[in-house]
Amino acid sequence: MEVDEDAELMLRVAAGDKSAFAALFDRYQASICRFAYRFVGDQARAEELAQEIFVKLYRSAKSYRPSAKLKTFLFRVASNHCLNEVRRGEYRMPHVEPHTEEQEGADGQAQHASGPDQALEGKELERAVGEALSKMSERERAAFTMCRFEGMAYRDIAFALSASEAAVKSLIHRATLAVARRIEELQAGLCPARSQA
Amino acid sequence: MSCEIEQDLTAFLDGELPELRAKQVEAHLPGCPSCAGTLSLIRRTVLQLAALPELSPSLALRRKVMARLDEPSGLTERLRALFRPAVLMPALGMAAAASVAVVLSVGPESRLDPEQMYVAMNMEMLEDFEVVGLEPEDVEVVTHLHELEALP
Repeated sequence: MEVDEDAELMLRVAAGDKSAFAALFDRYQASICRFAYRFVGDQARAEELAQEIFVKLYRSAKSYRPSAKLKTFLFRVASNHCLNEVRRGEYRMPHVEPHTEEQEGADGQAQHASGPDQALEGKELERAVGEALSKMSERERAAFTMCRFEGMAYRDIAFALSASEAAVKSLIHRATLAVARRIEELQAGLCPARSQA
Repeated sequence: MSCEIEQDLTAFLDGELPELRAKQVEAHLPGCPSCAGTLSLIRRTVLQLAALPELSPSLALRRKVMARLDEPSGLTERLRALFRPAVLMPALGMAAAASVAVVLSVGPESRLDPEQMYVAMNMEMLEDFEVVGLEPEDVEVVTHLHELEALP
């Protein structure tokens, strides 16, 4: 059982066991980097945030109670940290520039070299999601990321954001619709260009 | 125009609605093209998100995090590090020299209470070390530093 294993590892971390912490780090580093990346839209900044979040997790090991799932506890630490850093003005979502024909040519060449059409779709999709995320509130972004990329339940997201489940439901709905509409707009804009080609 | 059910469509798709509400949404959908269209848009989007490229953290991240675990954290630990003998003894020596200089230059008419002088002098020293946000017990330590100095 992963949850029990996590709790056991965390109790060992609280007793000063660094190898237990390393095991937790290996298990959750991708999730936390992904969360931070969706938050700030830049991989290098996301790793800085992830560093801080894991150091905070290590230092708060003694306050962890196994009644809460470790992943939920970790995302509470991560959400608080990212929200605070963004509010302090330390990090901002970059302004996403409109796609130019030059970029499209360069992207097209890069993808052509690697082959499949699917890669092109992935990049366009990434851009649409990034643009939509950059325009929503921090709490919508956090709730959306935990729900869509980490598959967390609304109840756990509510715990992580210190919010009610009703508030989380509303945050996720608004954010999902914003992303859906941005993807739709992008697809509508791309379709004529593709049919001409 | 959107209807009141629209707010629940994402939660409906995520299986997060209470059973009764989910049944109400289900019953509503066939008669409401707007909600049916929105639900289909949300469903398509959720499926598309699964196709986003994965992000791989750099190999350096693990090393950086593990290296930071032993760094002092919080004010208490930073103060403890600050008051370790290697830092404290030279600082106390400087503080003692400064206090002699102050007493000699100000003279007996000084209205400053000796304790306040010590706090002021040592606060300055702490500011040099960029320690901010002192807690009451830390101020207490600073206030009685002169007693430490008097110890053999």
